[in-house]
Amino acid sequence: MTNYGLVIDQERCIGCQACAVSCKQENNVPMGQFWNRVLTEGGDKIDTPSGGYPEDGGSGSLDMQYQPTACQHCENAPCVKVCPVNATYTRDDGIVEIDYDKCIGCRYCMAACPYNARVFNWDEPEQMPEEGTGDVAARPQGVVEKCTFCSHRVDEGLDPACVVNCPADARIFGDLDDEGSTVSKYINEYETDQLLEDRGTDPKTHYISGEMSPGRPQTSDKMESELDDVSPWSDGTEDVPSDADGSDSSDSGGSHHSIEGDADPHVPAVGSGGDD
Amino acid sequence: MAADSSRIAIPAFGTKGKLWLGLLATFMVAGLAAWGYQLTTGLVATGMRNVFSWGLYIMMFVLFVGLSAGGLIISSAPKFFHSHRYEGFARLGVLVSLACITVAGLLILPDIGRPERLYQFFTSPDFRSPMVWDFGIVILYGVLNLWYLWLLTRRDLAARGSRLALGIADTDAGRDRDRTLMFWTAALALPTAVALHSVTGWIFATQIGRGDWFSPLVAPVFIAKALVSGLGLLLVVSVLADRLTNYEVDREELTSLGKILGVFLALHVVYLLAAERLPHAWANHFEFWAITGSFLIGESVYFWLWTVVGGAVPLVMLMIPSLRKRVSVIFTASLLAVFGTMFEGIRLVFTGYEVANIDLPPGISVGGEYAGITTDIWATAGAYTPTLVEVAVTLGIVAFGALIVTLGLKYVPIQQVDGQYVTDGGTQERQ
Repeated sequence: MTNYGLVIDQERCIGCQACAVSCKQENNVPMGQFWNRVLTEGGDKIDTPSGGYPEDGGSGSLDMQYQPTACQHCENAPCVKVCPVNATYTRDDGIVEIDYDKCIGCRYCMAACPYNARVFNWDEPEQMPEEGTGDVAARPQGVVEKCTFCSHRVDEGLDPACVVNCPADARIFGDLDDEGSTVSKYINEYETDQLLEDRGTDPKTHYISGEMSPGRPQTSDKMESELDDVSPWSDGTEDVPSDADGSDSSDSGGSHHSIEGDADPHVPAVGSGGDD
Repeated sequence: MAADSSRIAIPAFGTKGKLWLGLLATFMVAGLAAWGYQLTTGLVATGMRNVFSWGLYIMMFVLFVGLSAGGLIISSAPKFFHSHRYEGFARLGVLVSLACITVAGLLILPDIGRPERLYQFFTSPDFRSPMVWDFGIVILYGVLNLWYLWLLTRRDLAARGSRLALGIADTDAGRDRDRTLMFWTAALALPTAVALHSVTGWIFATQIGRGDWFSPLVAPVFIAKALVSGLGLLLVVSVLADRLTNYEVDREELTSLGKILGVFLALHVVYLLAAERLPHAWANHFEFWAITGSFLIGESVYFWLWTVVGGAVPLVMLMIPSLRKRVSVIFTASLLAVFGTMFEGIRLVFTGYEVANIDLPPGISVGGEYAGITTDIWATAGAYTPTLVEVAVTLGIVAFGALIVTLGLKYVPIQQVDGQYVTDGGTQERQ
């Protein structure tokens, strides 16, 4: 079985908000709403560190990190369990999705989600430009919406928009049930956390902190599993993830394969949105 | 059977009665207009936003579910134990319960973003969701109240030739059969009431993401709160009906119920609250006085309105024997208990939404009212103030509940005059 998950390498994340913006474009997220937010771990405001400067007797403890946060696609998703009408459900591939034609707008799922990942269309959703920038189902006033791991892209063999648009290769999408996938390997190799682990929701989004990973191993729009040859990670076993040189060669290798498979990997197939 | 075995509380509406009906109608029309406005603009017309996504409607739903308990329990518990206690309150109690559960059910409608899709509850229910169970049990409880009120009064309605008897005749055999039916209805009503309050509590108590909601004590607290507020409201309504209509309240029973309200208050506001707070206070603090302080001192004004104004004050009033003999004291204490319980529900919703689990900057997009690039769409904590629209809709629905009680007093023989046909041959003297 496929069970999609996401690894976010906080050591690689540069806080550029590209994932947040590309999510908004790809999914026609209404003005005033975000499905994907890049939060700052540090000071009281966005992009501010905690601690003090090292000069003039300061503590020199400046510290800041970014935590991109969207739907965590929990295994034990409270939002799915509370939805009275089965509008929120878990797909066979593990993606937690909403049927916008069923949603009655009771917002019990928003009460259930410990991550505040869900937003509600309090009024008629407004896009700029009016027709939107993505090619996804429209959501009316009065329903809840949230990140879908770009299921419309995943269905076409493409990685989520936030993943391909991350300039730091800090986001890696793949099959958690496939032990050879990069996400599975990184979760094994690196120190990873899930958000609010103590709540028992078992999110399928894992955060790397501490040691930096080599990042997303291919530069194509496509998912790892859709590439002709699976990235070189799968045959170089234990040594690979921690080997920085290996990562460079693999990147070019992955890119090469994908170009063979697709004339222009940076232009997504029709229907996958206008994020480029 | 004689038509004088029962009494209608309001034989005809006088000037005051008509003014009262006019007032209720005004509130209801205003509420409908406000709801219409909210339907067109969306829930942006409310004070709710993405972080604080349930508001006044749910707070009042919690209150009115609780309020619906008292009447049914006071009328069915004695029936179940073949007692004639509180017989004078039985019909009025069920009427008040019916009105309150109707208000509670209706309060869900304006809270729903797309009410026209409510049929999904029947076509696509997920039985893991506490809301599905609550939806079912609110409807069941409403139907049960309606049936019970009719069962209690149908022979008297028949004796008066009322069409509300729906063709039932007033016979001795019929009255006997109804007494058996009353027993079985009471036997069903009691567990249904317990389930109603527990399931409503579990809507909150199952949620790991909302602070204090996730507590096994929530369901028992909801039961206790229903006993307090439900009985409180019944006493308030009965005193008002005694003063304003031909309904006569039995002073002795009133005092006795006042005493019971005191016991419920002690259980709810003193015991259960202490049981809930002590472990947290103890675990989070080290020094004796720090533990004690954290245990005794609440965090918000809602806490004080609930525990002192709606808890300690009425409890003291009802504890002193010389005081609780006065109708005015019972009335005030009951009113305060209902008032305080309202703030318990408000506090519960606030404790869930005030603090976000992940409150890193910039925060959570709140949504609604996007007005260009300078709009501040971020919040790291929940804040909520109800809008005029929400208040108007809520008042309109509560007015509808008051209308149900008023019409019940007008068309249903709410008071039995002689005790001969009370239950199983009781011959208790009445008035």
